[in-house]
Amino acid sequence: MDFALTDEQRALDDAVRSYLRDRFGPSQVRAVYEDPAGDGDPAELWKAVGEQGWLAVLVPEEYDGMGLGLLDASVIARAFGAGTVPGPWLGTVLAAEAVRLAGSPDQHKSWLPRLASGELRGAVALHRPGSSPVPANAPATAGAGKLSGQLQLVEYAGGADILVVAAADGIYLVDPKATGVSLTRCESLDRTTRTWTVDLDGVTGEKLEASTPDVLQDLIDRAAVLVASDLVGIARKALTETVEYDKTRVQFGKPVGSFQAIKHDLADLHVMVTMAEHATTYAAYAVDADLPDKALAVSIAKSKAADTARKATSDMIQYHGGIGYTWEHDAHFYFKRAKRLEYAYGDAAQHRERIASVLLDGAVDQGHLQTDGSEMSVG
Amino acid sequence: MDLAYTEADEEFRKELRTWLDANLPQEMRRPEFWADKSDAEQFKIRRDWEADKAKAGFAGIQWPTEYGGRGGTPGMKAIYDREMALASAPTTVNPLGLAFLAPTVMHLGTEEQKKTIIPELLHNKTIWCQGFSEPGAGSDLAALQMKAEKQGEEYVVNGQKIWTTNAMHGDKIFTLARTGPSEGSRHAGISMLLIDMKQPGVEARPLKQMSGASEFGEVFFTDATCPVTEVLGGEGNGWQTAMLLLSFERGSSAIGQYTEFRKMWDEVARAAQKTDRDGSPAAQDPVLRQKLAEQLVDLECLKYHSWHILTSTSKGKDLGFEASMTKLMWSETFRNLSDVYSDVVGPAFQVAGQPGVSRQELTTMALWSRSCTIWGGSSQVQRTIVAERVLGLPR
Repeated sequence: MDFALTDEQRALDDAVRSYLRDRFGPSQVRAVYEDPAGDGDPAELWKAVGEQGWLAVLVPEEYDGMGLGLLDASVIARAFGAGTVPGPWLGTVLAAEAVRLAGSPDQHKSWLPRLASGELRGAVALHRPGSSPVPANAPATAGAGKLSGQLQLVEYAGGADILVVAAADGIYLVDPKATGVSLTRCESLDRTTRTWTVDLDGVTGEKLEASTPDVLQDLIDRAAVLVASDLVGIARKALTETVEYDKTRVQFGKPVGSFQAIKHDLADLHVMVTMAEHATTYAAYAVDADLPDKALAVSIAKSKAADTARKATSDMIQYHGGIGYTWEHDAHFYFKRAKRLEYAYGDAAQHRERIASVLLDGAVDQGHLQTDGSEMSVG
Repeated sequence: MDLAYTEADEEFRKELRTWLDANLPQEMRRPEFWADKSDAEQFKIRRDWEADKAKAGFAGIQWPTEYGGRGGTPGMKAIYDREMALASAPTTVNPLGLAFLAPTVMHLGTEEQKKTIIPELLHNKTIWCQGFSEPGAGSDLAALQMKAEKQGEEYVVNGQKIWTTNAMHGDKIFTLARTGPSEGSRHAGISMLLIDMKQPGVEARPLKQMSGASEFGEVFFTDATCPVTEVLGGEGNGWQTAMLLLSFERGSSAIGQYTEFRKMWDEVARAAQKTDRDGSPAAQDPVLRQKLAEQLVDLECLKYHSWHILTSTSKGKDLGFEASMTKLMWSETFRNLSDVYSDVVGPAFQVAGQPGVSRQELTTMALWSRSCTIWGGSSQVQRTIVAERVLGLPR
């Protein structure tokens, strides 16, 4: 029994965090925040993300990738959440995942190496934002190979070289510059991303040949795990920053962190964050190992991470007092990013409903006590 | 990441299952078996069954063989906890002795104490009570008042203990008493005495709990005696001994608790499928679905956490104050789950055990869960520990 990251995964975590500490810290994040008209995609950061292999983790080695798993990508996502890192990392990783999971060998060959290196940037529209994260809620319609529909809140669509668009009959690759594609910038509250509305009007797409509803669900679940990991990274960082501040901020002649009202709330938050960390770790592992309870594990992780990041970022503002509500303090970076990701790929309530449908709408025994990977034989 | 147990651990699981198949009758695994038996009858059945289990080698799983233990791995202990819960095996009658006294004795007991206390405990020849709380010393343990005065070769003990689990069944009690002056510190002058409860100066009285059962009681000491040799950890060192004792995480794995509560969740879910609410099953009510799922999330997190604990202990890491987080987590989750049970059955919660409406054992658990956020350090005490010792917030 070894429920922990490997040495290699810890080294990856160290590498990402030390890069961010040295090269892309709060002041660089703030520069992106203060430039809302900019592309939100600092060139030096993107170059590093490509060079370090952080886009290549899930790409097979034969396509110049690292051939690692979702748990490794989750480690990066967690560190990016802690650093409120902007840029099209997630969209590009998910675009490559779409190609890897649903593409033909030719499609692998033509797209994966360039997505893995960062030469190409990807953006994805896998389900209608706000709808339940299932294939039935694909955002585009397709008829005779032509895609139509309005894709909302597509992150980094403006700078993307390729759009991955889910339609009722499959997953498509769309060239953002193709005829019939129009992009409209919309300002996001969270400025560690850039969002676009993409209108498709009879656009010719390239269908990913092996796409099925199951593959699309898998893709959405992978997205949910990476978003949950980002949220967990945000939550832990928000807690740590708050604890450090409350150790030194003095009121009534004492550090405010010595007051029981604050202590007890932060203790509860620490428990929540720890559980959310466990849950995202297990969900990533369950997807990698294709365990029978992976759908359950993903929904547990996303709902727990969303609830936890909400509390952590709210507490961060509250327990910093007035300074926490100012623009000059970083607390709002965490709060706004958490708010964006809370609702991405299914919110907490939608994921709880999925848990209920798995466990309440049939025999309760289904998955009963068998949901730990080690004991599948237990009856 | 590897969630498999070792081959040796899995071999142990097989062996334990085989023994349970042969020695734990199906009827004993059902709640109805226990329903019509008195506290005393239940206690005797559990005591005897557990002694047989110890004889077969399934006790003290991680303890050294020289003291009658099995010398097993943390993985075996986790498997033991899980399999016992899966099989609905009777719970131990010696919980405080097993969880707290034995590890403390192994750490700082004399050789004589190790050899006499531990094997008798394992085989239920001696049932141990814990005498810490007093009417004026609950969460604030250092406020304890019980006095032990040295007279020749023995202490003469006067005072009262309360919330004593198994008070009516206890043979001996490990208890804290003031044997010397406080000398400016409330923690000074305390000793941990091992007192024989079967003597005229010790009187145990049951306390009836809100569940109707009497698992705990009060113990009165009136000129009770205790040989001066029956001190654990040395005279005057009682506070340090108690702190060491309390640091032993219950069973060192949360997997047994998870398994028990997950079974409860399954039962609550079944109750929701059977309970009518406006013409359809309560399990279809969107609000109840959210609540049930929310509890399932926390339960599964408890399972992951138990793996984390097992991973740490297998690597020889000391859990330290993380144990407070575990206690807080499982006890609060258990209490929340029991509230969802009452939400599911609604007004029928009042008629525990009405066939097809509510379930006696779930009601019993719902009431019992109210105690779990209090005993062993209340949730508020645990939060303070987590905040100060884990997060490092100032006192």
